[in-house]
Amino acid sequence: MAEPPVLEDRIHAVGYRGHTLRGRPRRAPWPMARTALVLAWRNRSTKFALLMCLAVVGIAGVALVGQLLFQRFTSSGGLPMDPASVVGSAQEVFAGFVRAQFYTSAIAIAVIAGGCVAEDRAAGALELYFARPVSRLDYALGKLLGAGLVPTATLVAPTLLLWLVAVGISPPALGAQLWWLGVPALAAAALGAFVLTTTLVGASAMGQKSRTVSVAFVATMLVLTGVGEGLVEAGQSWAGYLVPERDLRTVVDALLEVGRPSIAAQLVPNRGVLPNEDVAASLLGLIAFAGAGLVALTWRLRQDVES
Amino acid sequence: MLLSFQGIRKQFGNTMALADVTGVVDGRAVGLLGPNGAGKTTLMKVCLGLIRPDAGQATVLGVDAVANPVAVRARLGYAAEGPGRLPGLSGLESVAYAGELCGMRRRESLLRGHDMLDLVGLDESRYRPVETYSTGMFQRVKVAMALVHAPDLVLLDEPTSGLDPESRDELLDLVVHLRDHGGPAVLLSTHLLHDVERTCDAVMIMQNGAVRFAGPLSDLRVQRASEFDVRTAVPAPALRARLQALDAEVTPGGRPDQLRVRLPAGAGPDLVWQAAASTGDAVVHLQARAASLEDAFLEAIGGRPALVAPPPSAWPRPAEPPRG
Repeated sequence: MAEPPVLEDRIHAVGYRGHTLRGRPRRAPWPMARTALVLAWRNRSTKFALLMCLAVVGIAGVALVGQLLFQRFTSSGGLPMDPASVVGSAQEVFAGFVRAQFYTSAIAIAVIAGGCVAEDRAAGALELYFARPVSRLDYALGKLLGAGLVPTATLVAPTLLLWLVAVGISPPALGAQLWWLGVPALAAAALGAFVLTTTLVGASAMGQKSRTVSVAFVATMLVLTGVGEGLVEAGQSWAGYLVPERDLRTVVDALLEVGRPSIAAQLVPNRGVLPNEDVAASLLGLIAFAGAGLVALTWRLRQDVES
Repeated sequence: MLLSFQGIRKQFGNTMALADVTGVVDGRAVGLLGPNGAGKTTLMKVCLGLIRPDAGQATVLGVDAVANPVAVRARLGYAAEGPGRLPGLSGLESVAYAGELCGMRRRESLLRGHDMLDLVGLDESRYRPVETYSTGMFQRVKVAMALVHAPDLVLLDEPTSGLDPESRDELLDLVVHLRDHGGPAVLLSTHLLHDVERTCDAVMIMQNGAVRFAGPLSDLRVQRASEFDVRTAVPAPALRARLQALDAEVTPGGRPDQLRVRLPAGAGPDLVWQAAASTGDAVVHLQARAASLEDAFLEAIGGRPALVAPPPSAWPRPAEPPRG
C-alpha cells in the first residue's frame, strides 16, 4: 500500500496567485489617515488627551445648558436684571468653548499626531509610501487628513453638538436667534482646527522624534501666548497678532458678535479677555500660521522625495 | 523588455553613484550584482522614480520611470533593504496597508494579505506587531508587502542580508517559485553570487556606478571559454615558456604536471597542441575550464582572479587501493 505524501511545513504551500484590482484604484490619503488614527488609538496617551478634551466639552455643555434653562425659567419672571448679563450669552459660551478647546485640542493633536511625518522619517518609512503609487500630494493630504480628524473630533464636532443642544433646549424666542449661530460657530471651530492641523503637521515635518515635536509644539503655543499677551499689556498691540489663540479669539468674537463680557466672566481673572483690534489682521495672522505649516511640509517632502 | 537604461548619471555631492549606466536586461529573474557601494540601490530607486537622475533615461516595463514615476510604481513591488516599518502595525496589517496604498479596497487587501503571508510562510505570528519580529520574519513581511498588489516586476533589495541559512534558503526558494510559477518578474539586488546563481536567469553586474555586464547568465560564463587546463606526462617548463611566448597567460595548475592556460584573443586549443609539438612535450589532458560565476563576476568587474594553484588540500586524492 502506497504511503500518503509527506506534508512539508515549507513556504509557498499555497502558491502565488495573480490578482486583478477590482474597480478603480482607491486614493491613498484615506487609508493613511485611518491607519494613523488606528495606531494612535492604541496608545494610552491618546485616550488621556481625548478624555481631557471631553472634560472641556462637558464643562461647556453644563454651562450652556444651565444658562439656557435659567433663561427659560426666568424669562417670564420679571427679574430686574437681564439673565444674559449675569451668566453670559450663548454666544459667549461658544466663544469661550472654542478658545479653551483650542488649547486642549492643541495638546491632543500634539500627542496623537505629533509623529505623523517625523516618525516616518525616523523609521525610514517614507520609502514605504513612495515606492508605491503615492504622490507627494497624496502623502501630504493623508497626513493632513489624519491629523485634521483630531481637532475635528475635539473642536468642530463638539461645537456642532453644543449648538444642537442649545437650539433644542432654548426658549422659542432665543431658539430662532441661536439657529443662526451654527454657521459662525462651526466656521470658527473649523478655522481653529485648520490652523492646529497645518502647524502641527508642519512641525512634525521638521522633526524626527514624535515626543520632541509634541512637546515643542505645545511649548511654542504657550510661550507665544505668554509673551504676546505680556507685550500687549505693555502697550505693544502688534504682538497680539503673533499669538494664534488671540488671533482666533478675535475672529471668533467677530463671527459670533460677542458683546460686552458678562458679570460672571468679569469675575474670573482672565488677562486675555480683550481681543486684537483688527479682525482682518488677526485672520491674516492665522492664515500665515497655517501657511507656514504647509510650506514646511512641502519643503520637507521636496527635500526627502525627489519625485 | 524588463529594464532599459540609457546614459544614467547620478551624483550625490562629490560621490558619483551612477556613472553613465547603459544596458538592457530581460528575463524572469534578474540579478543585480555588485559589491557594496556599486550603485545597485540607487539604480533600483531610479527604476521606482524615487531618485531623479541627473541625466539619462530609465525605462521599466516599457514606461519611462523618470517622466511617469507613479505609473511605474503601480506596476512594481519593492522590498527595501532598510527597516521601513510602521511600528504598531501587525504583519497582516502592514501587508494590507501596502495593498491599500496601491489602490486596493480594505477587505480586498486583507484577503490578499493573508494569501501573501501564506505564500511567504508567516504563520499566526502575522497578528503580532512587526517590531517584535526577527529579521527573517520581517524580510518575509517586506516581500509580502511588495507582492500584495500583484505587480509585474518585484524589486528585492538585498533580501537575504542578515538571514540565517535556513531563512535564506527559504527566501531564495520563494524567488525560484515566483520565477517558475507565473509570479512577477524579479530583480534581485545582492552582492552574493550564490543567490544569483541559484535564482536568476539573467544578470546585470555593476561596479563603481557603471554596468560591467548585462545579459543572460549563460553569456557571462561563455566569456571564459578561452581558458584551459593542460596536463602533461611530466612537468613541462618548456611548454610553459613556449605558450607564454605565444601571448598566452600560463600559471601552474593544481598539480606539478598541470598548467592553467588562458589563450590570447582569437586563438583556439590548436595553439596548445602546436606548442607541445614544438617543445616535444606529451599533452595527456586538455580541457576547457568550467567557468564558475565567481570567476566570471570577478572578470566582469575587472578584478580578474589571479591564476594561482589551489592549495594542496584541494588537490584530487588518489584512489585508495582495495583492501584485503
